[in-house]
Amino acid sequence: MSNSELINRYLNAVRPWLPRKQQADILAELAEDLQSQIEERESAAGRTLTLDELAAVLKQRGSPLRVASGYLPQERLINPAMLPIYFLVLRVVLLWVLLPILILVSLAPIVQSGHPLAASLRFLAAVWQTPFFVIGIITTIFFLVDRYQDRWVDRWDPRKLPRVPASHPQMQWHNDFAGFAFGSAMAFFWAVTMWHRSAFVLDNGLRIGLVRVWGELYWLILVLTASRAAVNLYCFLRPAWNAARSWIRLALDGVEIAFAMVLLKVPNWVEISGPKVAPADASKLVGLANGAMQLALVSIPVILAFDVYRQGRLLRRAKDGQSAPILTLS
Amino acid sequence: MHTNGTRSELFENLRLELRRGCLAVAVLGQLGTELYGYAIRKALSDQGLAIDENTLYPLLRRLESQGLLVSQWREEDKRNKRFYRISPAGEEVLASLLAEWRQMNSALERILAVPAVSPEEQKQ
Repeated sequence: MSNSELINRYLNAVRPWLPRKQQADILAELAEDLQSQIEERESAAGRTLTLDELAAVLKQRGSPLRVASGYLPQERLINPAMLPIYFLVLRVVLLWVLLPILILVSLAPIVQSGHPLAASLRFLAAVWQTPFFVIGIITTIFFLVDRYQDRWVDRWDPRKLPRVPASHPQMQWHNDFAGFAFGSAMAFFWAVTMWHRSAFVLDNGLRIGLVRVWGELYWLILVLTASRAAVNLYCFLRPAWNAARSWIRLALDGVEIAFAMVLLKVPNWVEISGPKVAPADASKLVGLANGAMQLALVSIPVILAFDVYRQGRLLRRAKDGQSAPILTLS
Repeated sequence: MHTNGTRSELFENLRLELRRGCLAVAVLGQLGTELYGYAIRKALSDQGLAIDENTLYPLLRRLESQGLLVSQWREEDKRNKRFYRISPAGEEVLASLLAEWRQMNSALERILAVPAVSPEEQKQ
């Protein structure tokens, strides 16, 4: 290979990266600069540069892409100032919206399948593009916001900025009271009605049989519902937030999520029969009742996941000192 | 604490930021007389301001597209070369930039002339 061919290869490799309209002009100037540089070196050495020496000159100049990048417009997809909120939105949407939805949709087929691993893989194969699609949409929205932000970014009023959270946030008492009332009622119903019960028999002879797992889990369910009612009562009586309160709720959330997941593995929760019910109708009723039960069980981890997020956020805010006032004017 | 590697990387980033604006002033200042790219680089280097080719040529194009430089292709020593020269608009901008730079430089001199006070001395 000749020196001239090596230079031409280099220039030709730079060409495709350059702005189309300026390609010829930039390459002519680049070629002239390289020629001047080579002439100076040859004049100092008193001889023609070897191929290796010329390759070293080109190597020092930089890769074709690096050389061309200097001529390209310095564009960005998202304003660096927007990156923290961009990542926050990605995290919230992917972890707290998309993931629970995917779990909700996938749990029933996976749990009921005879081959959970194969069902999981089939599900993953069907939905693996979804996160990329969601990321693409969010990125596009942020790109558009960045493009057109000049129109609204300076329209702001200091008096309309969000309020600084109180140093010890007061929880909403009615949520805690409702939790206590519902939890107590549930615990009472469970303790009284479900004690040693294996079936409900209605007036028309319809028998709703409870599978054995309910008897086995009787005490655990009673303890969980009573504990949840007690925690809600404590929160209602002591509305000011403290870390212990969040940790207790997190522990209870964790146990209840695990409990729901275990219960979901049971194939059927009720059996229906009766002298006036045809086998086909009984089968339909069983399907409906178990479907409703499954939906209720799936919704428990999803609802609790939001509480886990909320409690985690409260703990993190307290740890970061975000709720403390930054400045106190005298 | 910074390791030696991150400290030198930090220094390199700050150095690049510091140089970026100065290079534009230097190139505008150098092009009171007409020169082509390689000669500009040599002239700046001879005066103690080395500049990478991959920085100089895009900078020349940017300054020209902003109307601060004018250029023309001309033959010299049997080779076509692109000669650059500062434009009238460039001269005005250069004068303003130099005034700004001198003001900044004298402010820096004053700031750096004040002896550094340690936190312990501040408490006293």
